[in-house]
Amino acid sequence: MPEFRFEPVVMPPTATKLRAEVRAFLDEEKAKGTFVPTVGAMVAADPAFSARLGAQGYLGMTWPKEYGGHERSALERYIVVEELLAAGSPVMAHWIADRQSGPQILKHGADRVKKMILPEIAAGRCFFAIGMSEPDTGSDLASVKTRAVPVEGGFRVTGRKVWTSYAHMAHYVIALVRTGGRPEGRHVGLTQLIVDMKSPGIEVRPIINVYGSHEFNEVTFDDVFVPEDMSVGGIGNGWAMVTSELAFERSGPDRFMSTYALLVEAFREIGESPNASEAAELGRLVAHLATLRRMSSSIAGMLNEGKSPVTEAALVKDLGTTFEQSIPEITRRLLPLEPRGGGNGGYDDLQQLAQLQAPCYSIRGGTREILRGMIARGLGLR
Amino acid sequence: MSSETEDTGVRDLMLRSLDRIVEEKAENAAQAADGKPGFPTALWAALEEAGMTALGEENDGDLGLGNAAALIERTAYHTLPVPLAETILARRLLARASIEIPDGALSVAPPSANRDGRAAGVPWAGSVVGVVVATGPDMIGLLDARAASVPGFNMAGEPRETIDHGRAKVIASARLADAPGVVEAEGALVRAVQMSGAMSRVLEHCLTWANDRIQFGRPIARFQAIQHLMAELAAEAAAGSASALMAVEAMAERGDRLSAAIAKARAGEAAGRVCAIAHEVFGAMGFTQEHTLHYATRRLWSWRNEFGSEVQWQAEIGRTIAAGGADNLWATLTAHG
Repeated sequence: MPEFRFEPVVMPPTATKLRAEVRAFLDEEKAKGTFVPTVGAMVAADPAFSARLGAQGYLGMTWPKEYGGHERSALERYIVVEELLAAGSPVMAHWIADRQSGPQILKHGADRVKKMILPEIAAGRCFFAIGMSEPDTGSDLASVKTRAVPVEGGFRVTGRKVWTSYAHMAHYVIALVRTGGRPEGRHVGLTQLIVDMKSPGIEVRPIINVYGSHEFNEVTFDDVFVPEDMSVGGIGNGWAMVTSELAFERSGPDRFMSTYALLVEAFREIGESPNASEAAELGRLVAHLATLRRMSSSIAGMLNEGKSPVTEAALVKDLGTTFEQSIPEITRRLLPLEPRGGGNGGYDDLQQLAQLQAPCYSIRGGTREILRGMIARGLGLR
Repeated sequence: MSSETEDTGVRDLMLRSLDRIVEEKAENAAQAADGKPGFPTALWAALEEAGMTALGEENDGDLGLGNAAALIERTAYHTLPVPLAETILARRLLARASIEIPDGALSVAPPSANRDGRAAGVPWAGSVVGVVVATGPDMIGLLDARAASVPGFNMAGEPRETIDHGRAKVIASARLADAPGVVEAEGALVRAVQMSGAMSRVLEHCLTWANDRIQFGRPIARFQAIQHLMAELAAEAAAGSASALMAVEAMAERGDRLSAAIAKARAGEAAGRVCAIAHEVFGAMGFTQEHTLHYATRRLWSWRNEFGSEVQWQAEIGRTIAAGGADNLWATLTAHG
């Protein structure tokens, strides 16, 4: 019977020291006024902050030194990542590059490309966007229509990508394109190409989201040239690349800590002597959070051992996004909000921002419904 | 964990041996014992012979707790009607208080139902050789309650009896700091581990059923509505089991009460959802005496209430974190890796 066990990971001996170092760094940044802790650190971007993280050695942590990495373990990276999120720091500029694009390029990229790009990511100077969705392609990812036509020395790419988060800050986008087969050919004939955002023929248009913020973009490719060696994993292997990426993308603490800062502020507002129902509601959230940390770090351990726990990752994202969405709904029952238009970064502001952001948690990176379908497949039901 | 390999080898052997005992001697034990007084003497003897009833008191850095927990989880998976979890729990408590451990099946009284000269809801009180009771703020006692118990049952038809302290025989008693708190937390941990085992049994029942049951010309497993329910069931069961596993380690390493609270709260919540989904997936068939699903679901409904329901433990977690101050939440969560 399929059963999902989340065995303990043995944290490296360096863990305690590393955690203390990251905290000291973040305290210093906060003292300098770099950031005010917020919900959805995943949407706050600060390229200068990313560059300082790079200088600290906190990006590209697990990669070989020859590519600018630091040859540390996935678990050490896990510690850094969760500390950055717990502090509510603005990590979004480098997030995709460090979390998934860099590891993909390291594993499947051409050597020239690795030497050119990876050290820049690790230095916090090079950012990536993900070009998967299109106007007619969301959950049904295999239906992409953006085409790459072979030409002398590479490809010409034409098409349109949407919901491309932070394309306006990115130096590259990894675009899933069709290099063969008909769109009905489904999973065959797809390729991932690394496209330089400075290439002629690319246009980036902002799409403003529901709370008035510019995170999304529409990216149009008009006969954009991409050198031959800029594919990830070779021509026609796009589908395998996309699916293997997902275990990295779906299981991290960024899938359950988006509203952590609000939980902390709720504890602060309620104070040191909560009544019975306040204590139970907040305690329930802490029990969920502690369990999710266990499951997520256990997956980091599996990834460290070279396993590909795709179903487990889907399961953690499903539970994790449900949890982070529930925090504003529960705290607003405990601490009724009379909006004052604050601007003080305190409970009221976080509560409102969290409510506005919450719908996206279970959409980005694979909708809840897609994930449940994947779990069902893992259970042998489809 | 230290000695991981050696430990796992011993554990696998033990679990296989338990599976064999169940297959040979206890296929219908849960049904036979359901709501009936008495003690499964033959089954207990088989477990005793296999060396499974003398776990719990090892003083070896609690490596033994991992093995004991794996065994408890497996007996729960098999819905085995024996006080093995209670015996292991009692032995741990007695060892800690330096009370000599008697041979045979033992039990533990839940502290919250121990008042006015009576201890209610005591598993198997009338048939075990000794019951561990928190008799004071810093005292535990070992009672022989066989002649002092009024029979009763929990929702799963497992014996839960009421002891009249005045009529019970005190075998021993000794100091144990914060006795009611320790008994409650250890009991909560054991019930969380049992819930993990029973939830895995429910998941197995549901997978088999969904793949076998044909409606509208196809197995109901092919319907997206069922698939999504099952995904949720599997996720909840996995979370409950992860929290229990985490607490076993934390308890073994450092007697971490907060981790036991988290496990009972999380596994208890998961159990509620798991049972609801399972019965939804099963339709009327799962609502009969005839099908064996209810031996697992009725146990889950009972166990989530015993040794503190999830809301009591959630409140304790909330009070603990609040008292430490909002800014220490993260330090508390990450204190041990």
